[in-house]
Amino acid sequence: MTTPAGGSSSVRAALAIARRDLLEFVRDRRTLVITLLLPMATYPILALSTALGLRTATHEIDARTAPLPVRIGLSGEDAARLAAILERTVESTPRAERDGWPREVTLGGVEADEAQGMLDRGEIDVWIEARPGLVADLGARGTVELPVRTVTATPSAHFVREQFEAFMRSVARDVTQERVRHADLPATLLEPLRLNFPPSADVAPPNHNVFSTIAGGVLVLLTVLTLTGAFYPAIDAIAGEKERGTIETLLIAPCPIDAIVWGKFLGVLAITLATLVANVVSIAATAAVSLKYLPVGIVASLPEGALVAATLATVVAFTGMAALAAAVCLAVTTASKSGKEAQNTLTPVILLVSAVAGTALLPGMHGGPLLAAVPFAGQIVVARTALGTGSTPPATAGEIIAALALSLASSAVVTWLLLKLTASTLADEDVLFRGQDVAASPLHRPAPQPRPTVFQACVPLVAGFAGLWYAQGLVPSDLCLAIPVQQAVAVLLPLALVLWWQRVDLRGTFAWRRPARGGWTAAVLLGAALLGAGLFLTGAAALLAVRSAGISDEARQLSARLVALIQGRPWWMAWTLVAVVPAVCEELLFRGWVLAGLLGRQRNNRQAVGLAVGMQAAAFALFHLLPERMPQTFVLGLVLGTLVVVTRSLLPAIVCHLAHNSVPLGILWLAGDVPDLAAAVEAGSAGAGARLPGWLVAAAAGAVVSGIAMMTLAVAATRRVASERNSGE
Amino acid sequence: MPPEPTIEAVGLVKHYHAGDGGVVRAVKGVSFAVNCGEMVGLLGANGAGKTTTLRMLATLLKPTAGTARVAGCDVRHDPVGVRRQLGYVSATTGVPDRLSPREIFTSFGRLHGMPPADLPGRVERLLDLLDLRRCADRPAGRLSSGQRQRVSLGRALVHDPPALVLDEPTNALDVVGARDLLLLLGELRAAGHAILLSTHRLHEIETRCDRFVIIHDGRVVATGTRADLVAEWIPGRDGELEDAFFAAIGGGGPGASS
Repeated sequence: MTTPAGGSSSVRAALAIARRDLLEFVRDRRTLVITLLLPMATYPILALSTALGLRTATHEIDARTAPLPVRIGLSGEDAARLAAILERTVESTPRAERDGWPREVTLGGVEADEAQGMLDRGEIDVWIEARPGLVADLGARGTVELPVRTVTATPSAHFVREQFEAFMRSVARDVTQERVRHADLPATLLEPLRLNFPPSADVAPPNHNVFSTIAGGVLVLLTVLTLTGAFYPAIDAIAGEKERGTIETLLIAPCPIDAIVWGKFLGVLAITLATLVANVVSIAATAAVSLKYLPVGIVASLPEGALVAATLATVVAFTGMAALAAAVCLAVTTASKSGKEAQNTLTPVILLVSAVAGTALLPGMHGGPLLAAVPFAGQIVVARTALGTGSTPPATAGEIIAALALSLASSAVVTWLLLKLTASTLADEDVLFRGQDVAASPLHRPAPQPRPTVFQACVPLVAGFAGLWYAQGLVPSDLCLAIPVQQAVAVLLPLALVLWWQRVDLRGTFAWRRPARGGWTAAVLLGAALLGAGLFLTGAAALLAVRSAGISDEARQLSARLVALIQGRPWWMAWTLVAVVPAVCEELLFRGWVLAGLLGRQRNNRQAVGLAVGMQAAAFALFHLLPERMPQTFVLGLVLGTLVVVTRSLLPAIVCHLAHNSVPLGILWLAGDVPDLAAAVEAGSAGAGARLPGWLVAAAAGAVVSGIAMMTLAVAATRRVASERNSGE
Repeated sequence: MPPEPTIEAVGLVKHYHAGDGGVVRAVKGVSFAVNCGEMVGLLGANGAGKTTTLRMLATLLKPTAGTARVAGCDVRHDPVGVRRQLGYVSATTGVPDRLSPREIFTSFGRLHGMPPADLPGRVERLLDLLDLRRCADRPAGRLSSGQRQRVSLGRALVHDPPALVLDEPTNALDVVGARDLLLLLGELRAAGHAILLSTHRLHEIETRCDRFVIIHDGRVVATGTRADLVAEWIPGRDGELEDAFFAAIGGGGPGASS
C-alpha cells in the first residue's frame, strides 16, 4: 500500500470533474443532436421559408399594385365634352408625373341603360354619367358632383379604383389651373410651398423594420437554443448522477463541494458554448446563403461594416448568457432525484426564461442602460443595440461597450449566486437522501414541518405577484380601500392559503418571540424605531439628490394620492393604512414566512444567511413595483431581514417598518395644511429642486447609528446573560 | 502504546428530520474501531443504522454528535482529509455508463490529485488486480453486475487509501461474484488495508472477517470475533454467527429456540 496522494486543489478537482463530464456528455446522443444537428437544421429551414415567404409576398404585392389598363365609359349629354377634358389631361401629363395612374386610360361613350351591364361583364372598368351642363359647371367656381361606378367583383377592383382616383386628381388639377387662368390669377397661387431636399439626403431604407424583426426573432431563437444546449447536460450532470448512483463517488472526492459544482458547471458550460458557437456559425452561413433569396430592398437595408463588430458583441454577450443558462439549469435540477424529475422541473423554467428573453423585443426595450443587466433579456438588448436594430439613433461604440460590460457583470454575479445555491442544495442531506419523487404528487398535502421549504417560501410570493397583477382592475382608486385590498390580495390571502396547506410551527417560522431579555427588549424596539425613521429620511435625501433622473407619472400619482389620503382623513385612519397595515402584513410575509423558508436550517452559515436576506429583500423591492422605490425598499428589506436574523424575533422588524412608514405622516402633520399639495405633487412642481436641510440629514444619520448601537448593545447583553446561564447550568 | 486504529467511530449520533416534523434517531451513539490489516463486519437488520453510520464515516452525512476518525483525520473537522484516506463503495453506488473502466479509474485518479506520471501505471495495476483487463475499454454500461461492482471497488481503490468502507457490496452479485469480491477484499486486507463492510448475508463473511460489530436500533449491542460472539450470546452451544446475531439483537431466529 502506498501513501495516499497529497490531495488535489479545488481548481484541479473542478477541471477533472469537468473533463470527465465532458467525455460523458459527448457520448450522449441527445447532446450531439441538440448541440450540432438542431442548429444545422433549424436556421436553414427558417431562413429559406422566411426568405421565400418574403419574396412571394413582395411579388404578390408588386403584381397587385402594378399599373392596370383602365377603360372608362362615359354616358349622358356631356359625355363627349367630358371625354375631351379627360383626354387633354392624358395628353398633357408627362409619364414621370403620372404617379399612381393606370398604365393606360381608354375613353369611350356608352349608353346609360347598358353601362351597368358592361361593368358587370367587365367590358368597362369605370362608368361616369355626364349630366347636361356638367362641363359648364366645371368652368365655374363651384364643386361638381360626378356620379361614378367602378367594378367591384374583380380581384383588382380596389387597385382600379385607386388608380382611377389618382388619374382624376390630375384631371382636377388641370381644371383648377384652367379656373386660375380664367380668373387672371398667377399659376403660383396653386403652389405656395415647394420642398427642397439636398441631393445627398441620407434616408433609412424603407424595409429597415423587416431586418429588425428578423434579427430580433433570430436572437430570441438563439437564446432558446442556447438554453436547450444546457438542458440535457445539466440534467445529466447532477440529477442523472443521482439516478445512476454515481453522485456519492463525487461527494466523497477530496475537494470542497464548491469545486464539484464548479466542475459540473464548467462541463455544462462547455457544451452550452459549443451549442452557441454551432448556432452562430449556422446563422452566419445561413445568412450568407439566404441573402440571395431576400428581396433587394431588404438586402440593401442591412447595416454594412458594423455587422462583424455587432456579431462579435452578440457572441460576447451570449457567452454570458451561456454561463447563465448552464447555472440556471444546474440550480433548478440539483434537487431532483432522477433525470425525469429534473426534466419535469426544468421544462417550465425554460419556457419562463424564454418568455423573459422575448420581452427584449417589446417596443421601448432599447431604452434605459440598466436593461442590459436583466438576465436573458439584457443580452438580446445588447445584441440589438450593437446591430443597430433596436434604437434610434444607433448607439455609439462607447454605449455598446458599456452595455456589454454591464451585461457580462450581471451574468457573472447571477451565475455565481446560482452556483452557490446549487452547492447549498447539493450539500443538503435531506435533498440528497430524500425518498422517491416527492415533487411527483403536488396535490398531496405535506406533513406538518417546523418551517417552510424554499419552494414553499416562494409560493405566496408568486401568488402575491399574480394577485397584484390580476387585482389591478378590481382595486378601487380610493387609497382608503386600495391599500387594504392590495395587502389582502397580494399578501394576506396567499399567506393564509399556504399556511393552511403547509402546516408549520407558527411560532418558529414567524420568529414570534421577544427580541431580548428583560429591559433590553425596550432598547431593541426603540433602536429599531430610530433605525426605521433614519432610513426613511436618508432614503428621501438620496432620492431628492438623484431626482434629476426623472420620476415616472405613476410614482407622482401615487405620491399625490398618499398626500391626499394623509391630509384628507383622520390621523388614526391614515396611520393605520400607510404604516400599521403594511408593516404588519409585509413583515409576516417577507421577514416571517419567506425568510424562514430561505434560511432553512442554515442559520450558522454566513453565506447562506446573506443569500437568503438578499433574496427576500430583492423580492420585497420588486413587490413595490415602481422602479423609483426599489433601491430604498431593497435597502429597507436588507435591514429588516438582518434585524430578524440578529434578534431572532419579528417584532423589531415590524417596529422598524412601522417607524419607516410613519415618518412621511409626521412630516406632513408638522408642515400643517398646505393647500393643493397633492395637485402640486402630481404635477411634479412640489419641492422641485428641493433638498432636505443639512441638520435633518445629520439627524437621520444619527438616528441610524444610534439605533444600530442600541440594538447591538441589547443583543450582546442578552447573549451574555444566556451564555452565563448556560455555563451556570 | 497501541497503534491508533485506522477507522474509529466515537459515540456517533445521527438524527434526521422526519417528514411529520418529528426527529428520527437513526444512530444513538455508535463506537468501534478497525485496525490496519483488519476486516470488520458491521452487522444489523434493516433500519439498524448501518448505512447511516457508514455514510457518516464517508463524510456524506454530518454526525449530530460524536465523531469518527479515518487515518487520524476527523470527519467533523477535516472531511477532505478523511476522503483522501478512504475508499467508499455502497450497494447503490453506480458507475458512469458511458465511460470505460480505464477512463473511470483515470478520472478518479485525477480527482484525487494523483501525479499524471504515476496514474497510468496505477490504472494498469488495478485492471490486473480486479481482473478487468479484457473489458478495460468497454463502456461500463455493457459490463456484467460483477464487473461493474469490481469497477466500483477499483474506483474506491485508485488513490490507494488505507481505509475501505463497503456498504453491502455483495448485494447485487450472484454467489460467484460475491465470492470473488470477498476473496479480493481478503487480498486487500493482507496488503494492509483496514476494511469495514456491512452486509445482511452473514454466511458469506462469517469466516472472512476478523471481527464483527452488531448494531441494533442505532446502538452497538455486541462486538468481537466470531468465537467471542458465539461464546457470549449462545454460551455452551456450538452455534453459528447467525445464531449469535439473532440472540444479540433479541429478535429470535434459527438458533433462538433450540
